[in-house]
Amino acid sequence: MKHKYAPYLLIAPFFIIYSVFQLFPILFSFVVSFTNWTVVGSRDFVGLANYSRLISDHLFFKSVGNTLLVMVIAIPLEVIMGLFMAVFLKDFANRSRSTLQLINFLPYITTPVAMGMLFQLMFDYNNGTVNQILSAIGIIDQPIYWLGNTLTARTVVVLLIFWRTYGYMMVMFLTGLSTIPNELYEAAKVDGASWFTSFTKITVPLLRPIMTFVVTMSIIGGWKLFDEARLLFSGGSLPSEGPNNSILTIVMNYYNTSFSRFEFGYGSAMGYGLFAIIFAFSLISMKIMNRGEES
Amino acid sequence: MDSKGFRLNRAIIYIFLLAMSVVSIFPFYIMVIMSTHLNEELFTGIKLLPGNYLLQNFHTILSTNFLLYYKNSIIVTLSSTIGIVVISTITGFAFAKMRFKGRSVLFYFILGTIMVPSQVGLVGFIIEMKWFGINNTFIPLIVPAMASAFGVFWMKQYISSSVPDELLEAANMDGCGVMRTLISVVVPVIKPALITLFLLFFLWMWNDYLTPLVILNDQKLYTIPLSISIIGQLHRTDYAARILCLTLATIPILTLFASGSKYLIKGMISGSIKG
Repeated sequence: MKHKYAPYLLIAPFFIIYSVFQLFPILFSFVVSFTNWTVVGSRDFVGLANYSRLISDHLFFKSVGNTLLVMVIAIPLEVIMGLFMAVFLKDFANRSRSTLQLINFLPYITTPVAMGMLFQLMFDYNNGTVNQILSAIGIIDQPIYWLGNTLTARTVVVLLIFWRTYGYMMVMFLTGLSTIPNELYEAAKVDGASWFTSFTKITVPLLRPIMTFVVTMSIIGGWKLFDEARLLFSGGSLPSEGPNNSILTIVMNYYNTSFSRFEFGYGSAMGYGLFAIIFAFSLISMKIMNRGEES
Repeated sequence: MDSKGFRLNRAIIYIFLLAMSVVSIFPFYIMVIMSTHLNEELFTGIKLLPGNYLLQNFHTILSTNFLLYYKNSIIVTLSSTIGIVVISTITGFAFAKMRFKGRSVLFYFILGTIMVPSQVGLVGFIIEMKWFGINNTFIPLIVPAMASAFGVFWMKQYISSSVPDELLEAANMDGCGVMRTLISVVVPVIKPALITLFLLFFLWMWNDYLTPLVILNDQKLYTIPLSISIIGQLHRTDYAARILCLTLATIPILTLFASGSKYLIKGMISGSIKG
């Protein structure tokens, strides 16, 4: 194109906004992580003190463990359910496919905060719909104190994440399925393969790339769990981290440190801890992804 | 799959699909139903049919600042989303169709930034906003979001593959400047991508919780996701009004989804690379 400076003018707004509002804060937070910066008071350099505090902080590792636990349980459930929903929708639902697809995708787009609060109400000890239904059909005599016990509170978080996400997995897998040529299935049928054999020998291996992709993205996103878990416990008589800090996630811990206690220095170190974890996991899953491609 | 032995399996699988759909939609249903009941009625057994206290619950909500929060959310979401779409389009266009020094280095830089979680810089961001004196305004919610690496990447890919070079050359020969070419030649061609990007970012911005949570102290500036948590505190006893707020907060999202689900799902699939 004729104008010499035109491309730079076009990309300038992006780079100016990015540098001022995103890049600078990230680099500046790195500097802050070496100080004892609080809202009032001193802001002296303390070297690696925040980082050495971080690696001996039980609560930080608890939050890492909590977040990891939710992911380890929720992601396989989401993937399996999403996979079966996609395969079943493709093979067994013709006219109703798009309607069912829309309905099951709905939870994924709704405001996480609203859903956290809705689940809080549904799993309420006294008046929650879940306890009412369970006792109405005679499964329980006593209402279950869902959000008051470590195990059940974590179960509710996993259910909430699962409920929100499996529809998204389903849509991803449906997209992947649409790229598998039908001739493969027909050939298998001619050879006398059952539906299940086709599923394990054709569908699953061919969906592997998309599965790796989806799992990697879920892990990266899973480390940032915050909205749903926080709202599940907010506004009530319970601490917002759940009983015994059982659902304190990394970002929740980061938020409490930086913006409730205003320990900016230590909070920044924690932010970089999160970054390191995500980076390491991305590298690991990329390695696995590449190995999958080679074999 | 048409043999008779499959018929039973087929029925079972279909029931399974329907059951999961019920699971998906049940919380929404409960939410809508509960918002039509008197608060006290909610404690007297399961409610599966609508009640007739919707209007009263509306009155309760109107006595709070809920409408203001709604307006705030719309202002923040619309202006940031429009900004994202415009900036992503011009930046993506430059990277897709123009030759200039440093093009590939700058583009790899943008790609690299997708990897960095935005939470990392939050502390620095808050301190910076205080220096600028614009914490507690909408600016930190609107302007920073406009530089979206994902949006640029997505637009660049789309423009590269769907806008033919000949079209741009023809426009150039007719004496169109860069801006004229963009507006009257490129934009009509990439309309589907613009819609997708708009829907996607509208959704993300509407649902955003963490940034407004740390930026806004003044309750008059609260957006919907923030207000849900304080309405939760103010109306601890009035579940029904609180649930009506949740219902109202999800309506714009559901409407958008219903009207543009095809675009949205397409964007979601490629959008999963957003950090």
